Amino acid sequence: MKRTSLILALGLGAGVAGHVVWFNTQQAAPVGSLDTQLAWMQTDLGLQPDQFARIKALHERLEPRLLQLSAEVERLRAEFASFERARVEAGEVDFLEVARAAAESRSLGRECDASTTQLVSEATREMTPEQRKRYLEILAPALEDAGHSRAF
Amino acid sequence: MNSPQDPLDAMLDTLHASTPAQPESVQQEVWRRIAHGDQTASDACVPWWHRLEAAFSRPAFAATFVAACLLLGLFLAEVRLTRAQAERTAALEQSYLRLVDPLFRESDTHRVQPAVHRP
Repeated sequence: MKRTSLILALGLGAGVAGHVVWFNTQQAAPVGSLDTQLAWMQTDLGLQPDQFARIKALHERLEPRLLQLSAEVERLRAEFASFERARVEAGEVDFLEVARAAAESRSLGRECDASTTQLVSEATREMTPEQRKRYLEILAPALEDAGHSRAF
Repeated sequence: MNSPQDPLDAMLDTLHASTPAQPESVQQEVWRRIAHGDQTASDACVPWWHRLEAAFSRPAFAATFVAACLLLGLFLAEVRLTRAQAERTAALEQSYLRLVDPLFRESDTHRVQPAVHRP
């Protein structure tokens, strides 16, 4: 009985240890960083090292501006949400503030579209037709709305 | 009534000569088979843990069991990795879309399809 228990425990331990070790060694890095995203792009699009270097440099050049715009968008979305809360809860609408935020959002939307267009057009210039096709497929959810006035 | 040289007698003599002598009587053979049947039936009634112990007492079986457990663990890890990889690809696409297009919203992500890996 003791021998049987030992072998069962050994089998269970081997299975669990193999599972944990293999899963942890093969698991990829988190998705948040630009380097991870670019590495994924390189694999997915099959970018050559020289293409990858140019596309990486382009992203690194435009990333700060895009992150700044993203923060502005989040701020304006929060502002619109607070307007809506005030309207629902207190029945009050500050039309001047709403008009100012709407004007700001239109301006910001144009800036976002311009930055997106710049990044995509410069990146696709470095790609082969097949890579470009795949890249635009990936971006389709964002690009199909670009150029139109988009709600915050 | 029968003729002294009946051909049937000759055939019976031949058959008797060619049939080997039985080592035991029919009664002994029947009892031997009944005892063997009882033995087989009692083997079938052995509890499963006793059979397991008997199996694990053989080193080859024990080693095979441990190896099978290890392979099962690795297989399940691969299944998890495949699923995690698909989720990661979708997350990377969404993360990249958020970077490229600051106006891209989380609510738009339902339109994002996981990458199709080409051969």
